Amino acid sequence: MPGIASWVERSVRAAGEWNLNGMSTLLVIFLVLGATGLFLALPGTRGGWRPVGMALLVAAGILLVFVLADFALGRELPIWFGGCALVALFAATRVITHTKPVYSALYFVLLIVAVTGLLLLMSAEFLAAALVIVYAGAILVTYLFVIMLAQQARLAPYDARAREPFVGCVAGFVLLAIIAAQLLVAPSGVGAEPTVEEAAGTVEAVGTLLLTDYIIAIQLAGLLLLAGMVGAIAIARRQAADSTPQNGGVD
Amino acid sequence: MLLPYVLVGAILFVLGMIGFITRRNLIVMFLCTEMMFQGIIVNLVAFGRYPLNGVPTFDGQVFAVFLIAVAAVEAALGLALVVLLYRNKETLDAGAWKLLKDE
Repeated sequence: MPGIASWVERSVRAAGEWNLNGMSTLLVIFLVLGATGLFLALPGTRGGWRPVGMALLVAAGILLVFVLADFALGRELPIWFGGCALVALFAATRVITHTKPVYSALYFVLLIVAVTGLLLLMSAEFLAAALVIVYAGAILVTYLFVIMLAQQARLAPYDARAREPFVGCVAGFVLLAIIAAQLLVAPSGVGAEPTVEEAAGTVEAVGTLLLTDYIIAIQLAGLLLLAGMVGAIAIARRQAADSTPQNGGVD
Repeated sequence: MLLPYVLVGAILFVLGMIGFITRRNLIVMFLCTEMMFQGIIVNLVAFGRYPLNGVPTFDGQVFAVFLIAVAAVEAALGLALVVLLYRNKETLDAGAWKLLKDE
């Protein structure tokens, strides 16, 4: 019990401290706008309110630029970072608010491209290329195949209404508020620019590390991919109980 | 410059989480898990680039490579399961499977 009491006391004191530097109010407004906008923009019965939700999300996006500028600790935010971050978050919002799964998948490709931009800004070149090839090239094509296999022609009832949008938005943004508050009280040394001139994450740099320090792990990753492939084939070829056998009744 | 990247990664993760909770289409729910992976990848690379001792390493990027491999396996198995479930009930509604037994 005294542990909890002292924890509450410390939390209250920390809240009072970070309330003083003026950026927390901005952050709180951003969180409230984002949560309200997302709640209204999620597919549901509140049809007429969706444009309002979108407008609130756009306002939250504009606020986010100032929040991010505050988080840069006085250094100037590169304009490419702001652009990539806003495009990524716009695409992410559309993925979860769009009622047509095909469009969700296509917006996810836009999200991948924006995240690739963020990785390039951190000079992770090999990872950026791998992300585009694996995600936009392979995983998303698989998703589109499945969507086209299983999607109904008209809007399905389970796409038209979200499940518990209020609870979801509150839970998500409370988590985000906790993370952001912890970032605000980060000690001054955290997130400083590298003292050593950083090298680019080229194939050579990352590959050398992969094949020396992480050689066991990469063998295990190969094994995992093999097991996943065998498992996926085994699952997908299994016939449903009441369907007629295909492929000559293989099972 | 670490904190803006971490904040963007956190927002991506939270948006994916909200989508996973609120959407009812199985395929969109899987897309949302991939979206959470994107937030994690941004965080991993940022932590590798801006470490506390000021000497950047590539371990974060290596970790992200493994994450991509695991995400590929997860997508293959998950979509195979979605296809199997769709063959059984002709619907992608996650709520249709809440009983987890044959009717």
